[in-house]
Amino acid sequence: MQRFNFPVIQPDPALEELRAELQAFLREEREAGNFRPEPECWMASSDPEFSKKMGKRGWIGLTWSSQYGGHDKTALERYIVTEETLRAGAPVGAHWIADRQHAPMLIEHGTEEQKRDILPRIAAGECYFAIGLSEPGAGSDLANVKTKAEKVEGGWKINGQKIWSSGAHISHYMVAILRTSPADGRNRHVGLSQIMIDLSLPGVTIKPITDLSGDAHFNEVYFEDVIVPDDCLLGEEGGGWKQVTGELAMERSGPERFLSSYITLETALHQLQGKLGSDSQARLGKLIANLRTLRGMSWGIANLLHQGVSPETEAALVKDLGNRLENDLTLQVRALLNDLPEDEWSDEMRRILNIGILRSPPNTLRGGTTEVMRGITARQLGLR
Amino acid sequence: MINTEGMVAETAAKIYTDLCGREVPHEAAAGQYPQALWDALAENGLPLAWVSEDNGGFGADYDEVFGAIWVSAEAASPVPFAETLIANWLLDRAGVAIPDGASTFALLDGNAASVPFAGTADHVAVYDASKNAIALYKTADASAADGQALSPDSDTRLDFSTATPVASAATNLSRRAVEALILTVRAVQMASAIEAALNLSIAYVSDREQFGRPLSKFQAIQHQLAVAASESAAATMAATQAASALARSADDPEKAWHEAVVAKVQIGHSVEAVTVPFHQVHGAMGYTQEYDLHHYTRRLWAWRDTLGNEHHWSKTLGAELAVTSPDQIWKGVTTGAWIAS
Ligand SMILES: Cc1cc2nc3c(=O)[nH]c(=O)nc-3n(C[C@H](O)[C@H](O)[C@H](O)COP(=O)(O)OP(=O)(O)OC[C@H]3O[C@@H](n4cnc5c(N)ncnc54)[C@H](O)[C@@H]3O)c2cc1C
Repeated sequence: MQRFNFPVIQPDPALEELRAELQAFLREEREAGNFRPEPECWMASSDPEFSKKMGKRGWIGLTWSSQYGGHDKTALERYIVTEETLRAGAPVGAHWIADRQHAPMLIEHGTEEQKRDILPRIAAGECYFAIGLSEPGAGSDLANVKTKAEKVEGGWKINGQKIWSSGAHISHYMVAILRTSPADGRNRHVGLSQIMIDLSLPGVTIKPITDLSGDAHFNEVYFEDVIVPDDCLLGEEGGGWKQVTGELAMERSGPERFLSSYITLETALHQLQGKLGSDSQARLGKLIANLRTLRGMSWGIANLLHQGVSPETEAALVKDLGNRLENDLTLQVRALLNDLPEDEWSDEMRRILNIGILRSPPNTLRGGTTEVMRGITARQLGLR
Repeated sequence: MINTEGMVAETAAKIYTDLCGREVPHEAAAGQYPQALWDALAENGLPLAWVSEDNGGFGADYDEVFGAIWVSAEAASPVPFAETLIANWLLDRAGVAIPDGASTFALLDGNAASVPFAGTADHVAVYDASKNAIALYKTADASAADGQALSPDSDTRLDFSTATPVASAATNLSRRAVEALILTVRAVQMASAIEAALNLSIAYVSDREQFGRPLSKFQAIQHQLAVAASESAAATMAATQAASALARSADDPEKAWHEAVVAKVQIGHSVEAVTVPFHQVHGAMGYTQEYDLHHYTRRLWAWRDTLGNEHHWSKTLGAELAVTSPDQIWKGVTTGAWIAS
């Protein structure tokens, strides 16, 4: 019997205070011209200056101990920060991945020295990470990674290539999944390990790839006899696959999986308030009902994670539904805008909508494709 | 979470397990009413769960009763359990004595109204927003229109213009309060029916073989059901959110209206997204009267029309949001606190 249960969690007044603070900060920054809002801001809008301001305010590194520069807060506070910055379309791309993914990984697997050195810099908004999963021959089929790390005296020697590494060109480190021993014919998941690589080391070459909109935020990363010290192996040698799949549950259920394009709707609503015809009202009602429901699910998962439960399938469901919704949102805004003569559209509206359209294909790819998400769900349903 | 563990829900679960096996909805459709099922529910006082103690009920929490409603929809209840709960809630709120037996409800528009289980329930509690009144009629006293019904228990149009009420009373229940309750009950039933039909579909494709292997091994089938499962999870979330809002505003159900409408819109739109794949993966078998799937899909098609279809409600919600500030909308999405009062 299949049952998916997401707890309903009521708003917490303390969290709402935090939300209000963020809203005030983001409004001031935008009004001062310190950023221009954009869809997909967590991937494609990076501004180290902005990240440092967030760090100063204590809005990065919320969840870890103050001993390592963190703020001893919970994943729920973190959720509010991510949700508000996404809503504002703020340039949070530089620190996003380090804060979300690699800091928790270091806390679990890093040495004391790494934690003392790196975590405070992440929390200050000054140290950025890239994800090194994909390779030219390993996208959906991630177990097919070929990039190798060989054991050498005092460390590991790395050779091979990663691709689509978002933000690698501005990042200080990459955590890569690498082959540390040959694949067992029957179980391709063995022999993979997670290794942290300082991207300033000799032998690392980073080549930006320009996307269809003209941005260049993802990269090819080449490793030629790159030597990293022993303690850069995170977790267990050969345990990389299990570690990665655990990490993906967190990666897949966050608000960035359904709110990436919300700024497009909000910008349009500022212009359309009180002007929508009845057809558009129906579209808006449906969109908002979908958003409210998805937010409930995502918030429910955040609360489960907070209690130490890792709901992998629920996360896959939320990502699939959420990605469809964020793409649909852009399409619905195009329809709503028919209610306003084109010469009344602000330049800002046109800019944001166009960016949203150009940045829509990756929603259903990055972090695992729709087809892969459905495969995870099907397995949970007992169909595979 | 819909609480299926409370006393009320557990009693209902036991009764439905004992007396509503998979043959029962089929027999009911063939004209053999499961009187024993109804009697067991009534003997345990379940239809009075939401009636105040003064009026002979036991004033149970919303939560637990929603658990019982979930269970009844899962069993494709051929008796008007949820409808009687709603009718008795309305009557109790207006201080009208609760009649014996099965009842149903209607929201009057003009002289007529759409009434579920009109052919089964003895009484109908009619809410008339224009008069702020609730009247109790014998169902047989109203005249019924003839039409093709979506499901055996789905709405019949009843005209009340020549009928005389058994009792009536003024009520201070607002239309929105009534809508909040009815839409939430339907949301819970629909989420439950979607989940039940999903489970039926999973079992079917795991069993049925074509091309030498179970259908479940075909990726095209897996993906159709994965999409349906995500819609099912969303429907459960929306229903749970609405149920929880109602439980929190028990004294003023009107406050739960927005969350109820959100659930109505979300789940109403999901019906197409689930019933299409459910029927598709079942092949011709799902189209037969003999098989169970239609107990759920026909009810889903009927229930999505309760108090108007999802397009009507999308527009109603959207019309209200279209004149509020984007800040207010965001607040609703993130906290469930919809319109500033
Ligand atoms: C903007 C962006 C940023 C990214 N950032 C990063 C990053 O920082 N780090 C990183 O490591 N990766 C990153 N990625 C890569 C992303 O994770 C991959 O694109 C993704 O996993 C899919 O792999 P692929 O592109 O090789 O497509 P493929 O695996 O070649 O798939 C192509 C199509 O075939 C389908 N398909 C593949 N296998 C199956 C199957 N078994 N059954 C059914 N359908 C199948 C896929 O679903 C897809 O529709 C990024 C991608 C984008 C677009």
